[in-house]
Amino acid sequence: MSDIDLNLQIWRQKKSDSPGAFETYALDKISTEMSFLEMLDVLNEKLTKQGLDPVAFDHDCREGICGMCGTVVNGVAHGPEKEVTLCQLHMRNFKDGDTLVIEPFRSRAFPIRKDLLIDRSAFDRIIQSGGYVSVNTGGTPDGNAIPIPAQTAELAMDAAACIGCGACVASCPNGAAMLFTSAKVSQLCLLPQGQTERKQRALDMVATMDKEGFGNCTNERECEAVCPKSISIRNIARLNREYLMAALSEG
Amino acid sequence: MELNAHIPAGPLSEKWDNHKFNSKLVNPANRRKFKIIIVGTGLAGASASATLAEQGYQVQTFCIQDSPRRAHSIAAQGGINAAKCYQTDGDSVHRLFYDTIKGGDFRSREANVYRLAQVSNSIIDQCVAQGVPFAREYGGTMANRSFGGAQVSRTFYARGQTGQQLLLGAYSALSRQIHAGRVTMYNRREMMEIVLVDGKARGIITRNIITGEIEKYSADMVLLATGGYGNAYFLSTNAMASNVTAAWRAHKKGAGFANPSFVQIHPTCIPVHGDYQSKLTLMSESLRNDGRVWVPKDVNDKRHPRDIPDAARDYYLENKYPSFGNLVPRDVASRNAKEQCDLGKGVGSTKLAVYLDFADAIKRDGQETILKKYGNLFQMYEKITDSSPLQEPMMIYPAVHYTMGGLWVDYNLMTTIPGLFALGECNFSDHGANRLGASALMQGLADGYFVISTSVANYLGTNSLKAVSTDDVAFKEARQEVENRISKLLKNSSDGPTGKVTVDEIHKEVGKLLWDNCGMARNKQGLEAALAKLPALKDKFWNSVYIPGDMKEINQSLERAGRVADFLEFAEIMVRDALAREESCGCHLREESQTEENEAKRDDANFSHVSVWEHKGEGVEPVMHKEQLVFENVTPSQRSYK
Amino acid sequence: MWPIKFISSSIGKKIIMAVSGLLLILFLCTHALGNAAIFVSSHAFQTYANALHSLPVVVLLFGLGLLVILLFHIGFGINLFLQNRAAGGNRYAINTRVVKNSFASKTMPYTGLLILLFIIIHVFGFNNGPADMEVSQLVKEYLSNFFYSLFYIFSFCALALHLSHGFWSMLQTFGINHPRYNNGIAKLTLIVPAFFLVFFGAIALYFMSGLGASY
Ligand SMILES: Cc1cc2nc3c(=O)[nH]c(=O)nc-3n(C[C@H](O)[C@H](O)[C@H](O)COP(=O)(O)OP(=O)(O)OC[C@H]3O[C@@H](n4cnc5c(N)ncnc54)[C@H](O)[C@@H]3O)c2cc1C
Ligand code: HEM
Ligand code: FES
Repeated sequence: MSDIDLNLQIWRQKKSDSPGAFETYALDKISTEMSFLEMLDVLNEKLTKQGLDPVAFDHDCREGICGMCGTVVNGVAHGPEKEVTLCQLHMRNFKDGDTLVIEPFRSRAFPIRKDLLIDRSAFDRIIQSGGYVSVNTGGTPDGNAIPIPAQTAELAMDAAACIGCGACVASCPNGAAMLFTSAKVSQLCLLPQGQTERKQRALDMVATMDKEGFGNCTNERECEAVCPKSISIRNIARLNREYLMAALSEG
Repeated sequence: MELNAHIPAGPLSEKWDNHKFNSKLVNPANRRKFKIIIVGTGLAGASASATLAEQGYQVQTFCIQDSPRRAHSIAAQGGINAAKCYQTDGDSVHRLFYDTIKGGDFRSREANVYRLAQVSNSIIDQCVAQGVPFAREYGGTMANRSFGGAQVSRTFYARGQTGQQLLLGAYSALSRQIHAGRVTMYNRREMMEIVLVDGKARGIITRNIITGEIEKYSADMVLLATGGYGNAYFLSTNAMASNVTAAWRAHKKGAGFANPSFVQIHPTCIPVHGDYQSKLTLMSESLRNDGRVWVPKDVNDKRHPRDIPDAARDYYLENKYPSFGNLVPRDVASRNAKEQCDLGKGVGSTKLAVYLDFADAIKRDGQETILKKYGNLFQMYEKITDSSPLQEPMMIYPAVHYTMGGLWVDYNLMTTIPGLFALGECNFSDHGANRLGASALMQGLADGYFVISTSVANYLGTNSLKAVSTDDVAFKEARQEVENRISKLLKNSSDGPTGKVTVDEIHKEVGKLLWDNCGMARNKQGLEAALAKLPALKDKFWNSVYIPGDMKEINQSLERAGRVADFLEFAEIMVRDALAREESCGCHLREESQTEENEAKRDDANFSHVSVWEHKGEGVEPVMHKEQLVFENVTPSQRSYK
Repeated sequence: MWPIKFISSSIGKKIIMAVSGLLLILFLCTHALGNAAIFVSSHAFQTYANALHSLPVVVLLFGLGLLVILLFHIGFGINLFLQNRAAGGNRYAINTRVVKNSFASKTMPYTGLLILLFIIIHVFGFNNGPADMEVSQLVKEYLSNFFYSLFYIFSFCALALHLSHGFWSMLQTFGINHPRYNNGIAKLTLIVPAFFLVFFGAIALYFMSGLGASY
């Protein structure tokens, strides 16, 4: 355990349509036991006490599952440690005297609302266009009536683990949302429950993804590299296949 | 305040069916004429929104987060119970009912708990049909584990992310209805007030978190599914936005608040490491299946845990409770950890932690087996603490986790305000004085998927509601109230921060006051002292809180201030409730009420009731009402884990 | 109309890129096969060329087909590049690539354009040589020029780089990604570009170094 001094450069922007700029803040004696968000809390308390506007940033669960937090730290979504969200990133990953450039997740489809806080509702609209099995409540068969091999369940779970944080989009040089979309399509196309709507789902979700202004995938693999839940681009391959089959027969 | 639980007639196992039959229905063609507001998109809110929209009602759903998928339910790890009895190990609806009511230390309603156990099986079927990737056996059938000390394996799970997967299932059903235009989703809205017209709940006032606009919404009825209030303690395992505001606003408008002091403190959390700490992280209870809890026998033993020989260790749970050992229920484990730390035997830099040691399990089963079971938990622990449980024992300490208390509801889940319903963790209904592991997810989904639609139809079918719009004076007044409250919050801020306090400083202060006096162990003296301190703290908050920025923009300090203001008021009935209940039961240990062996002693003769608090106006002492609990099918027994 | 919808969707475009890329790779294979004759003798090569040109319709159709494929590949490639620059672009103060060896993927449009330049020069050169010179002679003539050969080798390097991302990327686009085969695919993604580089490079070197003098 030790304390470090940091130099922060944080993107400040008042509203969606106002211009933004970097502000520099010096922060001393940050315990390396702190999480990144706790470091920002300390900064915000300090700013508040100085009568300045604290930095707006999204967060909720602070244990890496809700997908609400996330900024780009020195060019890397969720910062330098692998497989963690920003809220799980601890300050021991940094050294005394480091400069941290902190920017919001940027994408044409994720407008900035204030400072580091963005609007990811485009993700919701992708799910709304088909990321479900159309069953109403009640009248469903017994859970064991649909046997699912353990391996299949595990593969589906690998994909379903996505927390929708948007780091994939933020890190993609093209701002593509393929990893996110493919995770949901994969989960459902692997499971027997998802078969009925399989083709339409792939077509609709991809159409929405394109409409929302995300870029095209060029297989850069950055998304997989920063994903806090290690969602694999194997899901993207699966989506490509699903889409092709669907487009050739139903599109 | 009239407390009629509306428990249906008939034998326990037939009550729910009778009730469904006797409830009024709404013709499918008429349903689209009714508007329903649902606040919250956790398991309870999302499942209710989807179900009611599928049935044809017009639903408006609200949540604080930027997406309904991020509600606090997402964080649940362990699993969800159901009486499927897939393992043929003697489970049944009746056993699940019995375990839940006994686990709650006989402070919940038989009829509600029985219904919960009855619908539990449909929940699993529903979630499977939605594509929730539950763990499976190699043969393809569903896998179960035993959880939280249950003697049967009835817990269904999806890795360590059950809450996430269930919520994403409900969220997907909700998304489908949003797409179909039957649910209008309002993200980033915080409910600030409930609106009553002719004494019935007819709408809400929200603050748009992005624009700061105060908005009005009207409907025929309002459903609250706003989760628990554990964040009253500042530090808890709850998500940062979890609050009591929605429930508290309803309470102040006439909804009774039941058992506010019933708060579950979970034994296995990562200890606090500094005063900048914002949140506590839960380590799954399953760790106690293989980990051994101990502290050094000698208060001054400063050695590294590895160098402390067995003889110098106190495995206090195993010694004290030979038959259950490390697997005693949550409340017992938590209390004992606190006791050891109070004795000065705590470990770590803050002395507020105990060891949870896997060395013996590793020696016995091998590292590989242990990693298979707990690998992801060990990894999570290591990420936070930078210490590997394979090399040295984990350090754990109890933390606030779940609130059994909540808005009082009848069998229909209706509060004492007609037309206002409460679902999920924000009601008090099923867990009595202590919740069993994997039962909260079950309750949230039971309420949302399978219970509420009967109540909704019955309410709409039995009440003729006049048309109400947001132009009604009641809405204007409620909105004015909200605006006034916000202006009052901001009134100290015009002349800068000097000499003022921040929102977090006050929140930490009230949190500590509650933790110290209304936490794991409570006594009259401490509770009275806390009660005496609260008014001053409240004054300090209102007179000197500094909130930067203004209300017509994203203002996260203002959001927190509104929540803390309500926690401060709420803390009072929490403490009063703990004070009034002069017995120990479940989570609630009154030091005055203990057996000779220092175990919790219930007093059924005097306290077999639900305490329901009524708000009597600003500055007026609240009044407590009692709903007597009647046990016709089970006999309350004293818990013993020796 | 589904084909329109398909090619205007992001994945549709990718699939066009991959299909046209695959066809171009297949073309390169046949091209390499034919050119192998160079290493036998100038006579063998000339025989092959003559045989080819005795079927003018086939050559025309083949050439046109190739042109269409190439146009698709280039057209969609540029379209994707522009779209992606608009959606992504340099949007951070600090741009950090986490993936190692991302040079090839970052430079796809540029290596592609280099290849295009090469194709133009290459095709133009061989179609506009002195009328009385046989193709086998023309090859020697051009490639014995040090700088001309150097440009060829440079272009083959660009092609190799293009394929060192493109080959794997194409399979990924087709949905071929499986833990069991990924190692093999990674190896192929080195072997295929290396093969083209070595093979075509060798022809250039053959003449450049004077070894082809006896050809
Ligand atoms: C770390 C952790 C692990 C857990 N593990 C388990 C487990 O393994 N098994 C189990 O059964 N239970 C578990 N629980 C308990 C369980 O997760 C919760 O009790 C349950 O998810 C609560 O669901 P809910 O729908 O009632 O509320 P929540 O999920 O808390 O949702 C509340 C919703 O209300 C909204 N809201 C709140 N206030 C307002 C307002 N004022 N205005 C507008 N919207 C508002 C929020 O935005 C949110 O959408 C766990 C809890 C924690 C903290
Ligand atoms: C013989 C010549 C060529 C071959 C064999 C070839 C092959 C390939 C292959 C296999 C891909 C991968 C497709 C995928 O990712 O699915 C690719 C991508 C690409 N090619 Fe070519 N190519 C050639 C010429 C060109 C030319 C002339 C251009 C001109 C601009 C070009 C531009 C691109 C671009 C921009 C991409 C990336 C597109 C993406 O990944 O989405 N290529 N090429
Ligand atoms: S705050 Fe929930 S993932 Fe970081």
